[in-house]
Amino acid sequence: MTADMTANMRKINASQAVAESLFQEMERDERVVILGEDVGRCGGVFGSSRNLLDRFGPMRVRDTPISEMSFTGMGVGMAMAGLRPVVEIMFVDFIGVCLEQVYNAMAKIPYMSGGRVKMPMVIKTAGGNIGSAAQHSQCLWATFAHLPGMQVVAPSSARDHKGLMAAAIRSDNPVIFIEHKGLLLKQAKEFLNAGDVPAEAFVTPIGKADIVRQGGDITLVTLSASVEYAMEAAAQVAGEGIDVELIDLRSIVPLDVETVAQSAAKTGRLLVVDEDYLSFGLSAEIIVRVLERLGPSSLRQLRRHAVPDVPIPAALSLEEVLVPGPASIARVLREMAAAS
Amino acid sequence: MKLNEINLFRTMVRLRAFDEACIEGVPTFEIHGELHTSIGQEAIGAAMAQSLTLHDAVVSTHRNHYHALAKGVPPRALMAEIFEKETGLCRGRGGHMHPFDPEHNFSATGIVGASLPVALGYAYNFKLKGLPYIAVGICGDGATNHGTFHECLNMAAAWGLPLVCLVENNQYAISVRFSDVTATPGIAERAAAYGAFGRRVDGTDVEEVVKAFAEVARYTRKGGGPSLLEATCYRHRGHYEGDHDNYRERAEKQRMRAEMDPIARYRRMLVERGAAEDELDQIVAAAKGEMSAMLADIRKDAMPDPAGAMDHVFAEVV
Repeated sequence: MTADMTANMRKINASQAVAESLFQEMERDERVVILGEDVGRCGGVFGSSRNLLDRFGPMRVRDTPISEMSFTGMGVGMAMAGLRPVVEIMFVDFIGVCLEQVYNAMAKIPYMSGGRVKMPMVIKTAGGNIGSAAQHSQCLWATFAHLPGMQVVAPSSARDHKGLMAAAIRSDNPVIFIEHKGLLLKQAKEFLNAGDVPAEAFVTPIGKADIVRQGGDITLVTLSASVEYAMEAAAQVAGEGIDVELIDLRSIVPLDVETVAQSAAKTGRLLVVDEDYLSFGLSAEIIVRVLERLGPSSLRQLRRHAVPDVPIPAALSLEEVLVPGPASIARVLREMAAAS
Repeated sequence: MKLNEINLFRTMVRLRAFDEACIEGVPTFEIHGELHTSIGQEAIGAAMAQSLTLHDAVVSTHRNHYHALAKGVPPRALMAEIFEKETGLCRGRGGHMHPFDPEHNFSATGIVGASLPVALGYAYNFKLKGLPYIAVGICGDGATNHGTFHECLNMAAAWGLPLVCLVENNQYAISVRFSDVTATPGIAERAAAYGAFGRRVDGTDVEEVVKAFAEVARYTRKGGGPSLLEATCYRHRGHYEGDHDNYRERAEKQRMRAEMDPIARYRRMLVERGAAEDELDQIVAAAKGEMSAMLADIRKDAMPDPAGAMDHVFAEVV
């Protein structure tokens, strides 16, 4: 690494990384427009659209009324008209209000048009558990992944927040970009999955998983904030002789099964940690796809560690026993290691 | 505005002949799902065709063929799509409820209430780029009680967007009568609540609809912000082909079909003004012949290749 490049690397937090990516992409391409509740004057309730209104003005940074279905559909129309809209749904839990435009219009129009219409649209939204109870805590990435036609991205590191947002904006496909509230609120110095963030614009390709930690005993696959929890857990059990290979999926559509299967073939043990709901979800999907690739009896152990099928409670004492965290992930890793 | 009466008559007649040809595909199971025809509402399509340019955008509904034709979508590609052919506008993936023609800025949705938001996006783009174009979002009376109606008119007015909201009030949301679920006599009067320009017109009097549509289009095109045109009309057939339509009295249907048929009305008007009945009959015969021939030709086209069923979910990665 040259001195110049080092000078351009900084430690910034995830919300800064997203705002910086939006800023640079809007500078680069005048077709990029952001709209949503509180994205302008307030700069986003998590600060991830800060500094945009002053630079680009209200026509490109549009504070909307609380009219999710219509401003999401407006994004669809903008994309069809040739713009590249970034539509913010403040919390992913609010998607119910506008899911109609998301899954019937945004996701299906490219197919329904026989490929004649492209949909370069990003839905930027925040998910994840930070003690906000049942209606402000969900992840829901599997819900989007179940419905065909959307790419689904959920970054973990600050660097990926920037690079994947740039990729989402430059993509001709509709992308659901799910930020984690816990990561948006985390200080740069607190990230375990650190990595400096380049000052200049760059693209992290969507669909390629990142091997965050190499190891030979257990393959642990996860994404978003759970990568941080898994790093903490992996560090804990490393001292006990359990060597975890940790994979950050980065996106679940497309899903990088190849990277996961290669790792699982090596370790023989596969653990999927998922902050989304357990049933009919990401954890089962990954395990099945790996087994389809490697054969039904190819692995010694398979484990799922996800939120059981229950709404998220308000009391932290209850949330802690339901949502995977560093301690529970370490416990599952120890159980797996002890079993064989 | 100078009207070419014969052209206006011919436009309506062709719209009807197009839908009549489509109806032929229902009993033969060539067309699947619920086919929605515009028979009785042709004056509205004909009026749009008079005022819109290529660059203007139209976002239509489940009942969309006449809007598409009015916007300049090629009839053969549209009919081939309705018959689910590989040669169709969308390669047979869309069908009759989901035609998309980006070259003519035309699209539709099968979901009631979902058209106006997409039209709002086109309007936003025109405003952002300072272009002198308008976006027409079409909905029926049923959709005016959907939340998007309120949301879109509010946003369009707040930001001065060039949106024409065209409401085709045919008085029934499938079986639910407008007057049973709405306290006001009509919809146009809601415009004032949003700061939009509102107007109501008899949607089966074609010359009046032409004038009214031109008026709202001009208002919006000149930067006045959104307008709302309510065109009253009556659906001559069931909500879809095959609808038992037991929710409307037989006497009502007979009376309304007689009173609110835009083509019959205009024919009488033109004859009173001295048009030759023979000439009008020839126009009808020519339109029927044109659409029958088109259908016969399309029936020879190939269905989509099953090998391509997974194509077009995502844009090609370049």
